[in-house]
Amino acid sequence: MRLWRIIAAVAVPATIFILRGVSPALLFVLPAAPLPLVVEAKGDFETMASEMNRRGMKAHAPAAIVGKSGVKHEFAFAVMPDPGRAKIVVDTELSVKEVDEMKVLKFYVKVFDVDPEKAVLCVSPKLGARAATLAKEYGITVLEDDVPKRLIPLAEKVVNEFVGSGAN
Amino acid sequence: MKEGKKKIFPVHYAPGKKLFHVVVTLSDAPGSYSSILDLVRTKVNLIGTSTYTRSDGTAVFSGFSEALSEDLTGEELEKLIMSSKAAIAARVYEGKDGLLVDTFHTGFVVGDEEYILMRRDGLVHVFERVSKMLGSGGDALLFEEGVAMGLRNAEMMTKTVGAERVRSQTGVLNRFLAAQGWGILEAKEGPGKGGFIVRVDDCFECSSGGSSRKGCNFMRGYLVGGAKATFGIDYDSKETKCVLKGGDACEFQLRPS
Repeated sequence: MRLWRIIAAVAVPATIFILRGVSPALLFVLPAAPLPLVVEAKGDFETMASEMNRRGMKAHAPAAIVGKSGVKHEFAFAVMPDPGRAKIVVDTELSVKEVDEMKVLKFYVKVFDVDPEKAVLCVSPKLGARAATLAKEYGITVLEDDVPKRLIPLAEKVVNEFVGSGAN
Repeated sequence: MKEGKKKIFPVHYAPGKKLFHVVVTLSDAPGSYSSILDLVRTKVNLIGTSTYTRSDGTAVFSGFSEALSEDLTGEELEKLIMSSKAAIAARVYEGKDGLLVDTFHTGFVVGDEEYILMRRDGLVHVFERVSKMLGSGGDALLFEEGVAMGLRNAEMMTKTVGAERVRSQTGVLNRFLAAQGWGILEAKEGPGKGGFIVRVDDCFECSSGGSSRKGCNFMRGYLVGGAKATFGIDYDSKETKCVLKGGDACEFQLRPS
């Protein structure tokens, strides 16, 4: 019975990956986050960017942005009205347990260098207490949900409200 | 004569050898140092020595040495040194089991500034960890810290030797970094007006590691900070060559922003 569970645990996500054209080998390189969900989230950010671009927003997913330091950073999603200047950046941190403060710090130092008007961190399932305090201190907007896929519409709403509001 | 790394002796390990650290306060007068050397060389083989003057008109001789005879004691050596008129005070520290540590000095002073000594590999490992933990943000952080240190060090140098001398003798002052083991810097003008190309041979930042880092962001920041403090303008920078990427040296371009 246990063996069947193990086979099912590996085979089902692997099948999904193969059907999506993603190497099943990736199953073994990112143990912290359920990979089908990472791929799902990434795919949805790309869709979100496409839709926003149709409305003339200049969205990118993923977005590579060169910071003040000259270092190139990658975000899951960003809106850049001018080349190299981010209005809003979005990143994801998906984990099987609470996301710790190191992930917030990792996001913050990228944000500090890129200096966008707004920074959004999508987290699943949620931030730990210290991480939440840190995010608040750094002025990071945090979106949390147990289901990673549900973070996409939440992020889309925040981005639309911010970009649509013409906030400076 | 080939340039090279200076050997200093905060510690020395020579299994099976009887080791002494000889420290002598002597009068800061011509011939004092040689008179001490003439005495000690009959009893010990000096491995590494240093001398420096102090503000009270005395000088200090410090030497790590190996005893020429197994019977030699630290007390005998002290007595011998104190027989010289040049010696004001002497202290001989004996090593144990072939291990000798400098227990007399408590740090380093260059000019009026205190310095610490650390292993290159140790510092590079810290950079490696920052980059590993914080990803590209860690690289940006290292750059920012480099800028901050470059600014501060250049300001210190300006205070010591004057702004004009710092601007006109950048090449000479770059050798100060080389003497400290940062790397051998050579700057030339270009590519645009007011810009610089700085080549760094033996750059400390990429002397080891490199599994997480993609370049020498601290050094790049240091050059930007130093140039800003020296010339009073902001610079954009990029590393065009790096040992971590297979280059024979590191090369940085700085252009006025």
